[in-house]
This record gives sequence, structure tokens and C-alpha cells, in this order.
Amino acid sequence: MELSLKERLSGWLKTAVERAPALASLEPHLEEVDADFLPNFCHGWVVFNVAVIAEMLALVIALVMPRSVLSPTLAQDLLLISVYVQWIALTGTAVLCLARGRLNRLPNLRALGTAYLVLLAVTIAVAEAAVWLLWLTGRISTPRPVWHGDLHILSLTISAIINGLLLRYFLAKHELKRRTLSEARAKLQALQSRIRPHFVFNSLNIIASLTRSAPAKAETAIENMADLFRMMLAEDETLVPVKNEVDVAKKYLALENLRLDSRLQVEWDIGTFPRKAVMPVLTLQPLLENAIQHGIEPLPAGGAVSVRLWEENDKIHIRVVNPLPAKKPKRAEAAPSRTLENMRSRFQSYYGDAATLDAAENDGRFTVTVTLPTRGGES
Amino acid sequence: MRILIVDDEKLARDRLRELLSDIGGCTVVGEAMNGAEAVERTAELNPDVLLMDIRMPGMDGLEAAMHLMGMENPPSVIFTTAYDQHALDAFEVNAVDYLLKPIRKDRLANALTKARKLTMKQLQEISQARKEPPARTHLSVHLRGNIRLVPIPDVIYFLADSKYVVVRTASEEHLVEDSLIHLEQEYGGRFLRVHRNALVATAFIKGIEKSPAGTWQVNLRGTDKKLEVSRRHTAGVRRWARNRPM
Repeated sequence: MELSLKERLSGWLKTAVERAPALASLEPHLEEVDADFLPNFCHGWVVFNVAVIAEMLALVIALVMPRSVLSPTLAQDLLLISVYVQWIALTGTAVLCLARGRLNRLPNLRALGTAYLVLLAVTIAVAEAAVWLLWLTGRISTPRPVWHGDLHILSLTISAIINGLLLRYFLAKHELKRRTLSEARAKLQALQSRIRPHFVFNSLNIIASLTRSAPAKAETAIENMADLFRMMLAEDETLVPVKNEVDVAKKYLALENLRLDSRLQVEWDIGTFPRKAVMPVLTLQPLLENAIQHGIEPLPAGGAVSVRLWEENDKIHIRVVNPLPAKKPKRAEAAPSRTLENMRSRFQSYYGDAATLDAAENDGRFTVTVTLPTRGGES
Repeated sequence: MRILIVDDEKLARDRLRELLSDIGGCTVVGEAMNGAEAVERTAELNPDVLLMDIRMPGMDGLEAAMHLMGMENPPSVIFTTAYDQHALDAFEVNAVDYLLKPIRKDRLANALTKARKLTMKQLQEISQARKEPPARTHLSVHLRGNIRLVPIPDVIYFLADSKYVVVRTASEEHLVEDSLIHLEQEYGGRFLRVHRNALVATAFIKGIEKSPAGTWQVNLRGTDKKLEVSRRHTAGVRRWARNRPM
């Protein structure tokens, strides 16, 4: 009975582990972001919004207009004005929809200005067309009635104000959507720089392998991974005791050891720290990951990473040393390590100039030294 | 079906072995830990299919596959990888088989049934798609249908003959099919052009001296041969000698 449960559990675990790569394919969906400056006026929802706002405008005009100028009742006024206002609004939307491709190719401000002018031109055209329509249907005796000029001035003024407000509104809404999406993308990138996909999927592959040959080891590996991920999902500003950072780093190293086997050796030298000594969450682990990624992984025979932590003059010192592979024949110069750059700017935002991160290469060894104030941030 | 497993992680190799024994109908003839070993094992064991990780220390999987193309009857290759966004897009485009880690049994079985031989063109396009296409770590030399790998750091000089390029190491001399221009582009700073027909590894240059005939010559470590510096390249060689990091 117990065995079958264990078997079922390990089967379930294996499937779960095998399905993980599907998560990696989440990323491309964020790419389908509408990058255009102007909102899409062909979109049904935008057209509906325009129609509703135009109808509200028609109602306001009908309400403030003195009775019996156009027609004897409010209902008739509203009908006439609605037809006129909707005509202008929907024609304007249609023109912007058709000209969308061309407008989006212009620089932002010019696109906006052009759209505005197009809307004013539509207003004039529709006003003129309305007068002609009335004349052709015999409602008025001349295409140049006395109120012809007034109609144009009135339409154009209202159109200038309302279109200005509307474009502003659509633009603000659109901008908000764009910013939300780009923030989401930045967060994803930040998360990916913490959780290195190559490490995650290789580790999962190895855990899948261990579920058969050494279930107990697989169990420990999953526990370690859970603790590591919890830290990686923590808020950037969290400060943790030095001991916690060392614990997480050791769990991380246990996972790397499964992958790299005897190729990875780590020499620890940890001094004594006052209990209140804290450092930003994930200070030590990325340093080790950097050392392993650039120093151990490329070496077929592996090597030793040495880690030293000590306290001196009220400061926490961390020194990580790793071997460097002989310069590989490369076409292009490798990009400088982003990990270290990220960490440097993190420290800068916590501690200002009170924290330092130095990286030096000599004699085929790469040394990173970090100095942090013992007592929290400047706050 | 005879299979060679290539991965630098032992547990990853174990997993493939187990999955293959579940699937059945195939024999694992051997394992290799990096690209160079994979090429050697392939020449030795003659497998039908290689299951090969892309990212490995030393020579990676793509370079190994390229060297294998030089064999008379190269094996099929199915690549495995944990994560390699740029390369994977190129794999899709060029219809090259790959398996994502953690590897699934059904995907593996499926890939084995339709394992195909690769072409050099596919491999080159995948290599181009990578962010920084790395230069080859080895040159492959063909000896009677077999492959011999020459590590780039061992090369003392390349000398162009009428048809071939001779590559010289401390112990051996081989013919390779690459052109001098191509080699110079690929290995940029590592080699110095001293003559229209000669590229010299700067690490092996002992000194530059004037010959009795009045021309300049390069003295090399690892060989007694002295290479002549042509008049056109004299200025470049002397500039290099002045700026040489000591």
C-alpha cells in the first residue's frame, strides 16, 4: 500500500517536473503589445465609446437650446441634433480608422496634430453637407441661409473643444495600457535575471532523474529549490540576517552540486557576525551563481570557488573567488557581467556610497569583493 | 538503433539512459561529456543517433555536430537543451530536432522514430542565430574518412599551399580545407598575418629577427622553422612586436 502511494507520488512529481518547460513559453505573449501611439479607431469598443459620448453631447445641446428655434418639441430637437452630431462623430472616427496606418508612421506630436485637424475638417464638411441636404430636400430655399455662418462657427467651436478633450482622454487611456504592459515586461525581465532559466530547467531534469534512482535526494532537491524560489520572489528591499543568506546560498550550491557533481568544489570561510547584522536579500547567492556560471561551468574539469565572509570596522565583507577559463577564441568581446552591474545598482539604492562592489581579474582568477554597512540602510 | 549520449551532467545522461531502456528497441553504445569527446566516440563507436546537449564546457554541441558533418557517413543528431531561446527559434525554422529538458519519454520516442541527418547549412544557420556565435574551439582534419580534432590553442601557424592550408602544431602537420582569410576572420586577435600565405599564433612567437638576406623572419616556439615576413606585412608585424604585452 505504502509503496503504491510512493510510486503514485513520484509519478505525479515526474509529470509535474516534465511539464515545467511550458512555462517558458509564456514570455512571447507579452510581445503582442499594441505599440502604436494613437488608439485604434477601427476597434468596436472605441467606436461605441465615441457614439455614447456624441449622444450625451447631443442631449446637452438639445437641453440648453431655446425651444422652437429648430422644432416645437424637445424630442424633435434631440432627434435632429443627434443625427447631426452622430454624423460628425462617426465620420470623424471612420476617417481616423482609414488613415490609421499613415498617422502612426508620423512622429507622435505630428500624428496627434494631424488627427485633430482631420476631425475639424470633417466637422466643416459635414456642416456644409447638412445645409446642402436641407436645400436639396426642399426644407430651405437657398444653400446660403442667413444662419449658414453661425452654424459653421458653432459646430467648429464645439467640435474643437470636444475633440480636444476626447483625443486627450483616449490618449491617456491608451498610454496607461501601454505603460502597464511595459512594466509587466520589465518585471518579467527582472525575475528572469534572478531565476536563470538554464539553471531551473537543468535542475528539474536532474530531479526527474533522481526520482527514480534516489527519491530521497530528489526530495531534498525540491525542498532546496522551494526555499531558493521563495527568496527569489521576495521584495527587493527585504533585509535578512547574514545567517539566512548563507543558508540559502548553501541550498543553492547543493542544487548546483547535483548538476556539476565533482566539478564544483566550494571552500567556505565564515567569520562571526553580530546577530543584528543584516544584508539585502539575495546578496550572496547571485555572487556564487555568477562565479559558477562564468568560472566553473565553462571548465571541463571544473574548479573551486572560495567564499569568505567577515566583519571588520562595522562593515560586512564578502569575497568570492573563482577560476577563469583560458580566454576562449571569441569573435566578439563578451558583454560585461550583467549580474554584477545589477547588484552594484541595487547596493547603490540601499546604501548610497556606503556599499562597494569591486571585481578584479588576475592570474586566471576572478575576485569579487563586496562591502556593506552592518546596520541596515541609511533610513 | 545504436545511440551515443552526450551531456556534461552525469544525472542528465542517466535520465536519458533510463528513458531509452523504457522505450526499448535501442542500445546505448556510449557516453561523452563534451563536444570533443562526442566526435572521438562517434568515430570510434559509429552510432546511428547522437542525443547531444547544446551547452557543454569546451566544445559545445553545435560545433561537434559541424565537425561530424565531415565524416563519410555522419550519424543523425537530436539536440537536447534546457533553455536557449535564440537557438530554439532557429531550430524550428530549420526543422532540426531538439528535446527540451526535463526530457519527456513520449517526445524522446517520437524524436527517435524520425531522427534525421543534419546538413551543414542547417547548422550554420542555427549558429548564426545565436547571440554571439562562438568561434570553433577545434579544427577538424580528415584522415582516411576519419576525423581528427586539432585544438586551436595548439596551432603554431597556418601556411597556405597552392590548394590547401597546412596547420602546424608542435607535434603534427595536417591539411585543412578552410581558407586563410576565413581563419583570420574567425580567430582575429589570436593570429598575426606575416605573409600573404601565413598566419602565425602570437602566443608562439619567440622573436623577430633579420635574416642574412636582409628580410625579416619570425622565430617560433615549438618548431625550428622560421617564417618569412613579407615586405607588405613588415610594418604590421613590427607594430605588433612593439605593443606586445610582456
